[in-house]
Amino acid sequence: MLTELSAFRQDALREIGNIGLGGAVTALSEMTNIRFTLEVPEVMELTTTQLHLICPSEECLSVGAVARVEGDWSGEAAFLFPWQSAEVLWQALIGTAPAELSDLNELHESVIREVANIMLGSFLNAISQMTGFELHMEPPAFAADMAAALMSSLMVEALYGQRELLAIETRFRIPEQQFEGFFFFLPDTGNLQRLFDALGI
Amino acid sequence: MSLGKSDVLLAGMGEIKVAHGEGVLGCIGLGSCVGVVLYDPATESGALAHVMLPEPPGGESDEMPGKYATTAIPALLKELGTPTYALSRLKAVLIGGAELFQNRQRSLQIGGRNVEKLHRLLEAHRIPIIFEDTGGHHGRSFELDLATGQLTLRAVGQAPVVHNLAMAMMKLAKAS
Repeated sequence: MLTELSAFRQDALREIGNIGLGGAVTALSEMTNIRFTLEVPEVMELTTTQLHLICPSEECLSVGAVARVEGDWSGEAAFLFPWQSAEVLWQALIGTAPAELSDLNELHESVIREVANIMLGSFLNAISQMTGFELHMEPPAFAADMAAALMSSLMVEALYGQRELLAIETRFRIPEQQFEGFFFFLPDTGNLQRLFDALGI
Repeated sequence: MSLGKSDVLLAGMGEIKVAHGEGVLGCIGLGSCVGVVLYDPATESGALAHVMLPEPPGGESDEMPGKYATTAIPALLKELGTPTYALSRLKAVLIGGAELFQNRQRSLQIGGRNVEKLHRLLEAHRIPIIFEDTGGHHGRSFELDLATGQLTLRAVGQAPVVHNLAMAMMKLAKAS
């Protein structure tokens, strides 16, 4: 799939990710009063080996939010944070963080869901403005578990839906702090052409 | 204690690993996937598949057989080479099949359906399940030492739990 995409189209997808997530990270910065930086998004096949981008081990405790996107460019969007990065978000937004997994409560979950909600909302908004697509999302679902278990469950869902594991993905950071966030969007099969048509490329 | 990773034959998503005698088989980070081990006490051989889905979504598949329950079980049987008349001497271990993301509007229940399909396939071959830790909402890693029957289970935020399957793996062996 990826190899069938011309370099030009890959660039276009990367740029869409850049614009969409630029807005998302700005929204997150406004929410938390923390300045986040965004890496240039990459367009690649999603594999569990990419976990090493954010986690030292496949079993490291991570927090994830996933949401189904419906409309003219449907797919699945997900955010993954190592636990330490989720702590930064909890501290910034509610002034406290769970000491360990067993202390995690509904408030902590809803904070992560809300972060995903706002970031994904701005991501979709930016894509709508560029393409004229109508997009809406379901409320994000939450999980805290081994990074590999979270990632593999999402990959299996994509496989089940016969979707390509083509992901627009990026990392965002806080300069000089231990924070890493990982975002990826898995468009449904057939939707890529629709996107290129809308962009006239 | 669990062994160092270098000593364990780890099956990644959709992979099959086979060990004879001294081997240790394992999977890391099972979410909705299921690690299924078939062990033949007569040959002291074990084969493990890291199953991702109950069956190929588009029908027949010539991809990695370990990916799907319907293709993984025949592939494991082939790896072990157990004669058809002796399949009941095999022992099965099932781990995984959880549903991590709760409160989804449209849940696919893949973990549960993986487990259900594997149950049905094992039942059809009359292969007994000697240990199972499946379902729920948390991820799992495991290592099974074929020589000692020691099964180590790991979940996040919990101390590893060790189960001794030596009896289950050997007692039934004498009966067959």
